[in-house]
Amino acid sequence: MKLSLFASASALGLGLALSFGAVSQAQAAANCIKGDRKAPYTIGWANIYSVPTWMKQTQGTLEAQVEELKKQGLVDKLVVTDAQGDANVQIQQIQSMIDSDVDAIILIAGSSTAPARVLADACAKGIAIINFDSLVDTDQVTAKVNTDSAQWGEQAAKFLVEQMGGKGNILVLNGPAGVSVSDDRRKGATPVLEANPDVKILAETNTAYNVAPAQEAVTSLLFANPEIDGILSLGGALSAGAVLALDKQGRAQVPITGENARQFLELWKEKDLKGWATMQPNWLGAFATWLSVQALEGKDVPAFVKIPLPVIDNSNIGDYLARAADFPADGYIYSSYDQALFEKLLAGK
Amino acid sequence: MSAVPSTSGQHSGRLYWPVQAGRNVGVRGLFAVVLAFIVAYGFLFPGLFTMSGFAKFTQSWFPLALVAMAQALLMLTGGISLAIGATVSLGAVIAATTMVGPLGVAGGSALVAAAGLGIGAITGFIVVKLRLPAIVVTLAGSFIIGGAALLILPRPGGAMPEWLSDLLAGNTPAAFLLLVAIVLLWKLYLATPLGLSLYAAGENPVGAYRSGVPVDAARIAAYALSGLLSTGAGLFVAAQTGSGDPVIGAAFTLNSIAAAVLGGIGFLGGQGTMRGALAGSLLLSLMISVMFFLGFTPVAQYVAQGLIIIGAVALPQFRKVQR
Repeated sequence: MKLSLFASASALGLGLALSFGAVSQAQAAANCIKGDRKAPYTIGWANIYSVPTWMKQTQGTLEAQVEELKKQGLVDKLVVTDAQGDANVQIQQIQSMIDSDVDAIILIAGSSTAPARVLADACAKGIAIINFDSLVDTDQVTAKVNTDSAQWGEQAAKFLVEQMGGKGNILVLNGPAGVSVSDDRRKGATPVLEANPDVKILAETNTAYNVAPAQEAVTSLLFANPEIDGILSLGGALSAGAVLALDKQGRAQVPITGENARQFLELWKEKDLKGWATMQPNWLGAFATWLSVQALEGKDVPAFVKIPLPVIDNSNIGDYLARAADFPADGYIYSSYDQALFEKLLAGK
Repeated sequence: MSAVPSTSGQHSGRLYWPVQAGRNVGVRGLFAVVLAFIVAYGFLFPGLFTMSGFAKFTQSWFPLALVAMAQALLMLTGGISLAIGATVSLGAVIAATTMVGPLGVAGGSALVAAAGLGIGAITGFIVVKLRLPAIVVTLAGSFIIGGAALLILPRPGGAMPEWLSDLLAGNTPAAFLLLVAIVLLWKLYLATPLGLSLYAAGENPVGAYRSGVPVDAARIAAYALSGLLSTGAGLFVAAQTGSGDPVIGAAFTLNSIAAAVLGGIGFLGGQGTMRGALAGSLLLSLMISVMFFLGFTPVAQYVAQGLIIIGAVALPQFRKVQR
C-alpha cells in the first residue's frame, strides 16, 4: 500500500515536472487505470457459469492468451472463479479478487445490474475491468466488448430475403423469450422483414438454444405448413434442429441462417445448403484479456469496443470446416484470430 | 438437541448455560469447521480484520444468513419453503422501484415488510388450514411470487438511495450489527407464547395440540416471519447491488435449505437450533472466499465443497457411533 502510494505520488510529480506531452499521455489512460500497477500482472477471470460448451471454449482462448502474455513477461498469474449461475456469488468472488489485489478483472456478468457497485470499488482501486458478452449497466469499467445482436438479426434477415428473391414463406426460430440476446436479434430482423411485405412469416418459435427442442418445434410446424421457402434461425443449434427436421420428413432443404455451431456447419456442407451464419466469437475471451493488459500498460482503450460479426457463407464455409477437427463436436467453430486482428479492433478499424 | 425450548426467563440462571451448551452438542463439529475456516481466511487474507474487510465479508454472508433463518424457522415447525428465492427477488424489486420514488425509504421498507409478512401468512394459512403439503404450495407460490417480481420489474433496473446502499453495504459493519439485532429478536421471540410453541408444533403437533399449544397459530406465524426475513434479505441485496434484478434470489432457495441442513436442522420438524443454521450459512459463505484464496480451480472447488459439507454433517455422527 505504502509502495503504491509512493509510486502514484512520484508519478504525479513526474507528470507535473515533465512536458505537456507527457501530461496529455497520462490523461489518455483508459478508465479505472491509475498507472501504479506494474507488469507482470495477475488476471482474474470472473466467469458466471463454466459448464456450457461455449463457455469452455471461451475460457480456452482466454487461457491460451494468458500463456502467450506470460511468455512476454506481462502476466504471471490467472485466477479463475465460477459463480455457477448465481449473481450474488459472482459479486462475492469479485470482492475476493479485489481483496487479493488482482490487476485486472475479466467479466461475463450474471446480472446486468447487480455487479455495478462492486465493480465501482474495483475501478476505484485502479483495477482494469474488461466486461464482455453479458454486459453490466455501468460506466465504472475500463471497457466493454461485444458484438451487436441487432445487427446479427438484420444481416441474417437480409441474406434470407435476398436468397428468396424478396418473396415467399418463412419460419422464424428464436431463442428463449425474455432473454435479451434473443430479443435483440429478433428486433434487428424486424425492419428488414417489414420492408419486404412479400416475405410472409408463417410461424415463430421460442425454444432453448438446443437442437432437440428446435427440431421438435420445426417438425410440428412442417406438418401444418406444406410450403416453406426459407428459415430465419437466430441461433446455431436451432438451425441444426431445423435442418434435421426437414431431412427426417424428406422435405427439400431451403435457404437458412444460423450460428457457427459445428453440427450446423457440417450439416450445411453435407446437405449442400444455401446458408449464412455468424457468431459470438469465443476469442472475445482472449481479446478481453489482451485488452486488459493493454490498458494496464497505459494504452488508451475506448469505453466500448464493438466487434464486427464474422460472416460464414457458401464462399468460406470450406475454410471453417477444414479446421473442424480442432473443435468439440458440440462446440462452435470460431473465426481465426491473431494479435494483428486485436490491434485492429483496438484501433477501431 | 432438546425439543424443549429453553429461555432464560423460565429457568433459573444456573440452568440456562448448561442447557444452551447441551443444545450445541450436535453442531460442535460444524462450529469447529467454521472456526477453522475463519482462521484460514484470516491467515490467507489479513485484511479480513480491518473494518472494511470485515464489513465486506459480513455483507456477502448477510442475505444468506437471513434466508437460512427463514428456512430454519419453517423446518423447525415441520414445514419447508421452495419460494424463498422468489420472495427474495420480490423484496429486491419492491425496494428498488419504491425507495427512490415518493414513498421514500420508510414507505418502501414498509411495503417490503408487508409483502413478506403477507405472502408468508397466506402461504402459512393455505398449508396449515387447508392441510396441503408445504412443498407443493410453496413450489406453486414460487412461480406466482417470481412472476410478480417480473411484472414489477421485467428487466434488471430500478435504483436504491445512495446513502442507504452506503449505510448497509459500505465500509462499516452495519450488516453485522443488524444480524446481531435480528438474532436477539429471535431469542425474544422464543420467549413469547408463539415462539415457545414453535418447537412443540414441529416435534409433535398432536401432542402439543392436546396440551393446549396453539399449533396452527405458531406454524402460520412461522411462515409469516419467514416471508419477512426473505423480503428483508431482498431489500438488503437491492441495497448491496444498488438496483433490482427480478431473478437475483433464485439460488437462495437451495442454499437456504443447504445451510439449514448443514446446521443440523431436521426435515421432520422440532430438531435443530438457529445457531446451527447460522453457522451453516456462514460456512457456505466462507467456503467461497477461502477456496478463492487457496487458489482452487472451479472444478476442484466443486469437489472440495461437497467433501466439506459431508464432513461437517458426518463429524458428530462418527462421534455418536464411537460412543
